[in-house]
Amino acid sequence: MIWLEIGIIQRALLGCVLAGFLTGLIGVFVVRMRLSAIGYSMSHGAFAGAALGVAISANPLLTAMLFASATAFLIGPVADKARLHADTITSIAFPLNMALAFAFLTLSPEIGLSSQVASVLWGSIISMTNNDVVYMITLCAATLAITHLIWKELFAIMFNRKLAEADGINTRPIIYLIIFLAGVVVTFSLKLVGGLLIYALLFNPASSVLQFLEDMRKVMIVSPLIGVATSVSGLMVSLFLDLPVGSCIVLVSTAIFAVSVLLSPKRRRKMENERR
Amino acid sequence: MDPIIRLEGVSTIYEGERRPALRDVNLNLERGELVYVVGPNASGKTTLLETINGLLPASKGKISVCGLDVQTQGRAVRCEIGYVPQDFMVEPGEPYTVLDVALMGRYGKIGLLHRPDEKDREKAMDALRLLDIDGLAERPMGKLSGGQQQKVMIARAIAKEPKVFLLDEPFSNLDPESRTRIPELIAHLHEEKALTTIIVTHDIRKMLRQCRRVVVMSNGRILVDETPEKALVTLQSGSDTLLMEANQ
Repeated sequence: MIWLEIGIIQRALLGCVLAGFLTGLIGVFVVRMRLSAIGYSMSHGAFAGAALGVAISANPLLTAMLFASATAFLIGPVADKARLHADTITSIAFPLNMALAFAFLTLSPEIGLSSQVASVLWGSIISMTNNDVVYMITLCAATLAITHLIWKELFAIMFNRKLAEADGINTRPIIYLIIFLAGVVVTFSLKLVGGLLIYALLFNPASSVLQFLEDMRKVMIVSPLIGVATSVSGLMVSLFLDLPVGSCIVLVSTAIFAVSVLLSPKRRRKMENERR
Repeated sequence: MDPIIRLEGVSTIYEGERRPALRDVNLNLERGELVYVVGPNASGKTTLLETINGLLPASKGKISVCGLDVQTQGRAVRCEIGYVPQDFMVEPGEPYTVLDVALMGRYGKIGLLHRPDEKDREKAMDALRLLDIDGLAERPMGKLSGGQQQKVMIARAIAKEPKVFLLDEPFSNLDPESRTRIPELIAHLHEEKALTTIIVTHDIRKMLRQCRRVVVMSNGRILVDETPEKALVTLQSGSDTLLMEANQ
């Protein structure tokens, strides 16, 4: 029995490390390319998809991925073509996805607030399977390979998309690729913190690191490490205090962000400049 | 010889606008020509540059640069253009060094899946050296003054080794000494490398000394395409006249 528990905790820990790493890495692109509104909508798209999976007794991971990808593929080009403001995208997509999620969850009343539904809502790291771990390791490798291959283009787009385009870089497919990758990462990280809170893990580590570092290469290294530290600390806090893992991870990551903003030398310099 | 830049009846409308920002513009530039574009605010100067490099799609007409159709081969065209945008400022705290920014100018030419090598870095450093800012190469871009940042943007365009230079108010934030030196440097590069150059400016005195051709724009139209002396006469007739003429 004890070996079984150790196995569960080991998988949970590995899941935390991998999800923290992935969200911390992809979060840098999301924040720097100003894709936060799309990332936010997509996380809730994944949540709605997972809810549908639970309702129709399909694999929630698969339906979550389908919904996240569909949201990404719809929102990315639509926002691009219609020149919609980020706020508009979020304002429409968030309630829509929430409405869909809750509608799906009530499709099969016998499901109610079962453990499967709860895991979609709040995450359930202890239900992490060996397959989940293998998927996440593969996703980590793929994300790192893509980042390495098109780093130059990503670096230029994160600086300024219009200038990158002026330099002859085809920015649109690269941005769509990042949106799609973010969707996949969100889907695979749902078990960690759940559909309602996953966005914090995508946004907070990168935003915290950007308060201090002035070299994008270092940001790309430190942000995933902060993501890992946040997830693992959150897991530990949850084990000690017997609180939900997802909530603890988000509380830890928000605390790190708050402290980063308080100590941020960049923010202080900006304030000093404004005073002058 | 075919012109290196050719615009035939080009109009550009911003999305959501009804009035074109550029209206039926015809403009030809031979290889190695230097042209100053002047005109009142919102006369279409920036739109003209962004339409030439394909950042803004033309709603009407034909544009070719270096023999390539901008509408269908925009990316290849942009690889040959060194573009300096107007009033580009990097916020303090942005995680990019001066060398990073200068080197980015070469990214389009290096191509997808390739990394900049030592030669590329050397070219970026040479460009920074030309503008006397090589000592700032490792400094964060956001910590530089407006004038220094403008020099980095010019260095970035030079590092690209383009065939065409499109410079939008490139001297506006420079200190007095640089305001004399940098235009001379651009004129020198243009002569030495036969770079076809379009400079949008408000500084009419510069254009009198450095070029043989001036384009005066108003309300999205080219009003005058003449020698600097003749263009000056038009400009001195006042902006009201320019507006009236453009509306005709």
